[in-house]
Amino acid sequence: MFKLNLKIALRNLFKNKVYTAINIGGLAIGLTAFVLLLLFVNHEANYDKWNPELDKVYQIRERHDFFTPDNKQNWQEVNESRIGALLQQKIPQFKYITKVDNSWGDGFALKVDHSDPIIVSNVNDADSLFFKVFPYHFIYGDRMTALSRPNAIVIKQSIAHRLFGTDKVLGKQIRVMMWRSDKGSLMTVTGVVAEPETAQSHEFNAIIHSGDREKDPEHVDNSNYCKIYALAHEVLDTLAMNKILQQVYVDFKKASFVKRKINYNDFYKNGKTPGLKAVQLKMVHSSPSYGSNWLTQIKPIIALCIFLLLISIINFVNLATAQSVQRAKEVGVKKVLGAYKKQLVLQFMFEAAIQSIIALFMATILVEMFLPTFNHHFGLELSFWYNKQLSAMVWQLLGLLLLITLLSGFYPAMVLSRYNPVSVLKGNYETGFRGIALRNGLVVLQFVIAVTFIIGIGIMYQQTNYLRHKDLGYDKSRLMNIRSNYEESFVQRIKRIPGVKYVATTTQVMGNTFNVPEEIIYDHQEFNVNTVTVTMETLPALGVRVLKGRMFSPAYKQDTVNTVILNQAAANLLGKNVVGKMYDVRDSKKKHTFQIVGIIKDYHNEGFDKAVLPTVYKVTRLGGTSSTNNLLVRFEHDKNETAVKAIEAEWKKSYPDFPIKYAFAEESFEKEMQSTNRLMQMVLLFSAISVVLSLLGLFALSAFMAKRRTKEIAIRKILGASDLQIVNMLNRSFLILVLIANLISWPIAYIFTNNWLAGFAYRINVPIWPFVIATIISVGIALLTVSLQTRKAAVNNPVDALKYE
Amino acid sequence: MMIELKNIEKYYANKGVKSYILRHVTTSIKQGEFVSIMGPSGAGKSTLLNILGMLEEPTYGEYHFMGEDITAMNERKRIELYRNHIGFVFQAYHLIDEMTVAENIEAPLLYKKIPGAERKSRIADVLDRFNMVAKKDLFPNQLSGGQQQLVGIARALVAQPSIILADEPTGNLQSAQAEQIMDLFKKLNKEENITILQVTHSEKNALYGNRMLTIEDGVVKEDVQIK
Ligand SMILES: Nc1ncnc2c1ncn2[C@@H]1O[C@H](COP(=O)(O)OP(=O)(O)OP(=O)(O)O)[C@@H](O)[C@H]1O
Ligand SMILES: [Mg+2]
Repeated sequence: MFKLNLKIALRNLFKNKVYTAINIGGLAIGLTAFVLLLLFVNHEANYDKWNPELDKVYQIRERHDFFTPDNKQNWQEVNESRIGALLQQKIPQFKYITKVDNSWGDGFALKVDHSDPIIVSNVNDADSLFFKVFPYHFIYGDRMTALSRPNAIVIKQSIAHRLFGTDKVLGKQIRVMMWRSDKGSLMTVTGVVAEPETAQSHEFNAIIHSGDREKDPEHVDNSNYCKIYALAHEVLDTLAMNKILQQVYVDFKKASFVKRKINYNDFYKNGKTPGLKAVQLKMVHSSPSYGSNWLTQIKPIIALCIFLLLISIINFVNLATAQSVQRAKEVGVKKVLGAYKKQLVLQFMFEAAIQSIIALFMATILVEMFLPTFNHHFGLELSFWYNKQLSAMVWQLLGLLLLITLLSGFYPAMVLSRYNPVSVLKGNYETGFRGIALRNGLVVLQFVIAVTFIIGIGIMYQQTNYLRHKDLGYDKSRLMNIRSNYEESFVQRIKRIPGVKYVATTTQVMGNTFNVPEEIIYDHQEFNVNTVTVTMETLPALGVRVLKGRMFSPAYKQDTVNTVILNQAAANLLGKNVVGKMYDVRDSKKKHTFQIVGIIKDYHNEGFDKAVLPTVYKVTRLGGTSSTNNLLVRFEHDKNETAVKAIEAEWKKSYPDFPIKYAFAEESFEKEMQSTNRLMQMVLLFSAISVVLSLLGLFALSAFMAKRRTKEIAIRKILGASDLQIVNMLNRSFLILVLIANLISWPIAYIFTNNWLAGFAYRINVPIWPFVIATIISVGIALLTVSLQTRKAAVNNPVDALKYE
Repeated sequence: MMIELKNIEKYYANKGVKSYILRHVTTSIKQGEFVSIMGPSGAGKSTLLNILGMLEEPTYGEYHFMGEDITAMNERKRIELYRNHIGFVFQAYHLIDEMTVAENIEAPLLYKKIPGAERKSRIADVLDRFNMVAKKDLFPNQLSGGQQQLVGIARALVAQPSIILADEPTGNLQSAQAEQIMDLFKKLNKEENITILQVTHSEKNALYGNRMLTIEDGVVKEDVQIK
């Protein structure tokens, strides 16, 4: 029986080659997208799950407002270092507590003997307990003692290969330079660790142990920030533990404020609250301090994949039910020969399964083909066959296969097996021709998806176009940003290079922004603003425009004393006519007074999803300064290769042990735009595929319809209908379906795109033309597809059709 | 008694008006009879045959097949009857297009769960008897109409039914082919004691059998034995 069913299935597949190809090809494409998604989800969902011991590891998070992008309090991964000692003392449930530096900037320069130094990212200074908390597998060296002495370095195997060309490097020495003029310290390799099987939220290439992480700053007013991880004796009740942590933290803060002469209630006001909590390590990746976690981020992509799969399944169902006319006789005959309905259902499900299996097989080939592109595009390193979770994947895929078979096979199987033998065997297929309503519904659904996609593309295109051409408020061309602090002698030297116009620094530039919140008192009112430390030439170097007042200039002595420039957002916040006015900033002990000398137009230094913060720019050191490794160089001309070369040479002379790193403002801008662009490209790709699949489905479906009505067409022609009249007649039903689909998708697309646009601080209003174009395209293409099919049927000689009967 | 019909009625209600197709049909058919059902077009012959074959249900009346009440029978039981007792032959042959001659003949045996070896020998047997061995791997559309009907009959026979229901089995065939089929029916009826019920328009075909039922306007008008 099985063999015969297999034979019949294959014969049917061959007989209807075009439909089979559309079915299987469509499913394969839908599955490919899904498998890629599955790979990504598996990668993300398995962060920090490479060792069961990690269940007992917790990340400590403190609630504070330093280093935040929005100047608001947040649960941060970097905590004040003293919390390490505090937990050691107060929380006996923790066995080990380790402090490790966050990865700031671009990395450290590592140098082996006399070879050129290379910049290695994610090199973190840790205290001696790091590997007691994290059970990394040491290929060489001893986990327990690797960091017990200062100036030790433990490296990942891949870094060992990069630096030395081998991993047998125990006892070898590496010079580590942390900044450009750092003489560096010589560290001894005490361990080489293997890359764990899953991704890690605290990702490192090397852990160094300088010894600095063991101590906290001596003076109470100084603090130092790092990540803190704790290994508990057993898996904890996080809720209960967090209550204890909160209490311990509040007591600690109170005691510390007493020493620092700060009023606790004064400090925690305006919604600010103290907070300390532990997050289980395996939850860290899925609950980031800022923004949404990976699952929320890829939700649109998950939706796209599901829609794509849905469209291919719809094709499958539609074509299968349409084909059922061909199979009706088989069903009728088998029933009178004594087949149970169940047997027939199974037979048709089996046929669906065969097609799904072939599709899955093709999908794995497609995945292998597209994975490199996919990885490259999203900066991932996923693999299919070498995936560490391959066995889990296989189960997931089998599940998916089963689901698809059920979704695509069940309904057609039910329709087919329900045929009443009498009506079928009487030759009366029409009454046995079921599922028309459902099929129409599915065609509509398919077109709703396709049309929504087309509208989505139109609006996304419009928005990205708007952003791309939006006035940034500064001139991003010919602007270079060297990752370096402002050092006068070096600045003077590169200023002399021909073609260099300005050299300046700022804490706020696209690609590397550091916000320092400040409370100012203006006109007896308190305002929260963002402060940015700049140099004299910064604002001209950025090319921002003055709206009122003036820029900083060496001509005004006062500019190095107490003047500030506001951006427009800040000026709007304070009120009218602020130029020339004064405001105060209260430090813990003193009061500083600043004079506003100018207002500049807002400029964008972060993605367009964020609004420009009210910002104060100052050159003066009054009230403290900060720096973030930005050295801006504005060139005179577009042709600046020689000048860049000269700067590189100058750098090499000054800092031979630390390679130069820089980016052009235009690149940073592209990077900021990337996430939007990526989504746009994905939507574009998926839309194109789904539109094509929907049309292929419609094409095949209309072919069936035309075939089914050949006799009717022939008779109508004999009665005198013209070809055009017949094409019109056949088109009408599809046309109505496509129009209905358009009507449904308009509001859906409006809601979706509006939602998407709401994520941008700067956005267009939803335009009408993508809707109109989507309708024209869908109706046009559908008409064309159907007409092609029906024309063939219509222009046939009626005699041929009637001869069959 | 093979078949017993008592007061069978069949009507379709259309806009509250009942239009009768069959009325008060009461008759019985014994094992081994060869019955021809005749009558004008639209008289209800096919409807009667379909009711006998349990493809349609009567609106009223009693029907016993081999002593069992059909109206009270569940789906599973009915399918068992199809598998073991009833063979259908259709005017339009109704072979499965995607199956070869041999596979078409094999299909009912598969549902009867007959083991592979026996299936092979039975198929070989009928193919031989019908002189179709050379054609066993052809598909239905590669056969003539008469040949297709032979396969249809072979398919009905291979499961060794006790009754064959045939609705105008020769309706699409030339007289020479029709004679061949009728001879075959007569032989099966005589030699294997298979009950045969056929609907036909041709007096000549009806004379192959041993009983003739004439239906007009849904009523049995005549019931004659042929000697
Ligand atoms: N589903 C139905 N609804 C209403 N009337 C029906 C239906 N099926 C059959 N009939 C009617 O029942 C009557 C008998 O039909 P049947 O097919 O049994 O005739 P027949 O004797 O086999 O005729 P023929 O010799 O032409 O095959 C016809 O008048 C037909 O119109
Ligand atoms: Mg009839």
